[in-house]
Amino acid sequence: MTTGMTRREFISVSSMVGGGLLVTVYLAGCSASETVMTTMMAGTRTTTTLPPPTTIGPPETTPTTQAETTTTTYPGDPNATIRPSIYVLIDGTGGVTVTAFRAEMGQGIRTAIAMIIAEELDAEWNRVRVEQAPADPAFGDQVTGGSLSVSDHYQLLRRVGAAARQVLVAAAAGAWEVDPAECRTEPGVVVHPGGDLRLTYGELVTAGIDAEAPRVDRVEPWKDPAQFRIIGTPTPLCDAPEHGRGATVYTNDITLPGMRYAVIARCPTFGGRFLEYDRAAALAVQGVTDVVEVGPGVAVVADHTWAALQGRDALAVEWDLGVLADTTDEGIRQELADRTRATGSGLIGATYSIPYFAHAALEPVCAVADVQPGGCEVWTATQDPQGARDVARRAAGLPGESVVVHTPLVGGKFGRGHYHEAVEEAVRLSQITGAPIKVFWTREDDLRHDRYHPMSLYQATAPASGSARPTIQVNSAGSPIPTGAWRSVQNFPTAFARESLIDEVAAANGIDPVDLRLQLMDADARRVIERAAAESGWGSSLPGGRARGIAYHATFGVTHVAEVVEVSLEDGRIRVHRVVCAVDCGTVVNPDTVRAQMEGGIVFGLTAALKDGISIEHGAVVQSNFDDYRLLPFDEMPEVEVHFVGTSKPPTGVGEMGVPPVAPAVANAVFALTGMRLRSLPLRV
Amino acid sequence: MAQIRLNVNGDDRIFDAPAHIPLLWALRDFLGLTGTKYGCGIGICGACTVHVDGRAARSCQVAADQVTGRVTTIEGLSADGDHPVQQAWLAENVAQCGYCQPGQIMTAAALLAGTPRPNEAEVEAAMSGVLCRCGTYQRIRRAIGLAAGSS
Repeated sequence: MTTGMTRREFISVSSMVGGGLLVTVYLAGCSASETVMTTMMAGTRTTTTLPPPTTIGPPETTPTTQAETTTTTYPGDPNATIRPSIYVLIDGTGGVTVTAFRAEMGQGIRTAIAMIIAEELDAEWNRVRVEQAPADPAFGDQVTGGSLSVSDHYQLLRRVGAAARQVLVAAAAGAWEVDPAECRTEPGVVVHPGGDLRLTYGELVTAGIDAEAPRVDRVEPWKDPAQFRIIGTPTPLCDAPEHGRGATVYTNDITLPGMRYAVIARCPTFGGRFLEYDRAAALAVQGVTDVVEVGPGVAVVADHTWAALQGRDALAVEWDLGVLADTTDEGIRQELADRTRATGSGLIGATYSIPYFAHAALEPVCAVADVQPGGCEVWTATQDPQGARDVARRAAGLPGESVVVHTPLVGGKFGRGHYHEAVEEAVRLSQITGAPIKVFWTREDDLRHDRYHPMSLYQATAPASGSARPTIQVNSAGSPIPTGAWRSVQNFPTAFARESLIDEVAAANGIDPVDLRLQLMDADARRVIERAAAESGWGSSLPGGRARGIAYHATFGVTHVAEVVEVSLEDGRIRVHRVVCAVDCGTVVNPDTVRAQMEGGIVFGLTAALKDGISIEHGAVVQSNFDDYRLLPFDEMPEVEVHFVGTSKPPTGVGEMGVPPVAPAVANAVFALTGMRLRSLPLRV
Repeated sequence: MAQIRLNVNGDDRIFDAPAHIPLLWALRDFLGLTGTKYGCGIGICGACTVHVDGRAARSCQVAADQVTGRVTTIEGLSADGDHPVQQAWLAENVAQCGYCQPGQIMTAAALLAGTPRPNEAEVEAAMSGVLCRCGTYQRIRRAIGLAAGSS
């Protein structure tokens, strides 16, 4: 404790009423955040009760606490709750509600936040629920990106749990008139130093804790990681039951009273805008209520989605295609190529080409807005709720505190959720029409008006002798079309260039690609490379027509991943049969999530490596839907194995880290199989 | 507008909606059954898959007023989310973001209803038209195997 007071000084038992118990705990520091408590009352919130972990270590030997506590009655408030910090609430049944403050996109952050808090709170895992925070600066930075949500908050969340536990322990110790330092906890229970008395968390809350909780930043985690029973245990995502019943409410599933549905005719070119359109034809579609100009586009507002879509078709917009109407991706690529530098003597150099890529989350961009006099509520799938709030605030012309941004679960996003065009559109349309508005983007809207992973040329050079890792020169500046964060960002092309060139150097020097990497790389890299090589049977024979390739990358320099792939050619197409992944992400909070993120990252990377880039002709995206911007399908899914290279350092992040190594690993395997060196994505033989 | 009659999840539903409205939008916007998802609108991603008389159908490609069979959506697949396929999905921790999973589950359930013990080629033929950007295919394969073994 750093408060200058002993725990005992905080505690007094203030009264005993009717044989019951009222515990008053005085703890120094801040109280619960009013901001959060009030905003949590409004709007939709996703609340989930956690299923039991698949395994949770040895069976709990703790007996139920009822036997020990039946001698005392607790006539306190059965509806009582305590909120030791903005992140956690404990109710009179012993239920724990954790507030997730980062976006859930399937990467498991809601579950991970709950696991870490529950561990240090010593909560019963199956009594933990998760609520989703709206945009609220009380949570600090709420941007979900960079695979940082666990690594940035691991210690904080442990402290949150420890601080909440401290309140409960202090309450019990006060009731028993013992030193809280001599009490211990078992899941959901405070145990008397003598071991014969027990008070459940629910009983303590019901009895009434008149407490100010300790400041989270002044409480140290108490648990030895060797004693963790939740962290490190494979745990199903807390949202899985709702997903399986189709009960998860995504943005596009939200309906408000009086809500109307809008789709927007968008100029196919970047930077163009409407010239003429047939308003009457759109309004003639039954169910269409309004036609509204929104920026460079024209919105059709209707009583339901289908009417809005039909109305949009009827608009027959004539477009001013704007200044980019002659832009092509080939032209952009040539501009980049003109900047390519010559490779110096004694060096091996090569240029690797990356096209534009789209996010292509299955859930398209969507937002719902309800602008009222003096206030505005927004629902949107966002990775940056406070950024969405800023967009809504500006669009509505309202002060920030009058704008509430709710954060439904996100149907993938992979970086797309940092940008909020639909929020601006929905707010403006709600303001103009006076009705709550859902702005729906079709798949074509989503693919053709994305913020794309930038087209780039990555020039790699390395000593011809193989004495050092390649260095990378990036030619990607000044894209005329919108670009943005895409899962693993620049790590993806960097890994493709560097890890391809290492293999080129290895081949030029007659060195095994694994051996060269082991010579050039540090101990962190070597551990995962050696593991992936060993698990994959590197060096052993394969069936005819197959070959292996390896690549390694440390995304953001923190999580070390090596992947070995096995490929063949089938009818001139590259087929990936197996991917063996070794990952060092420090402490593994949820092993099942780490596996899932590696599997998913590999699929994401394979889609980029093998399927379609985004191409530009006449200033517009050529691709329009999943028929020409293909995702890796089920029947091309390789067998993926994930191996943990355990280290005890703090967790380092996993959401993006599986993506970068797989494309160069496939290119390297194709070289091993055919002698062809593929330096452009998507890979084509 | 047309009066549309549908049997959905065992209930007879009568409502006024535009003639030829896709079943997807009828379910979502007129009947409030939002478990069925829009993904592409052209019948190639499978997110909108429902059952019509027990067979998988792409609801974005079927006009609601042309449907004469009994429609089952993810909300009606089981009373408590305990269909063998749903249970297998939980056991294998399939879902990530979850958005495509109603279509995956409905497709798998239709497959197993017609082919209780599908071989690998039958599984691939049924499932390859349902896209997942999160990359859950390996777990879907395991879950289908589990559900086939349990049913």
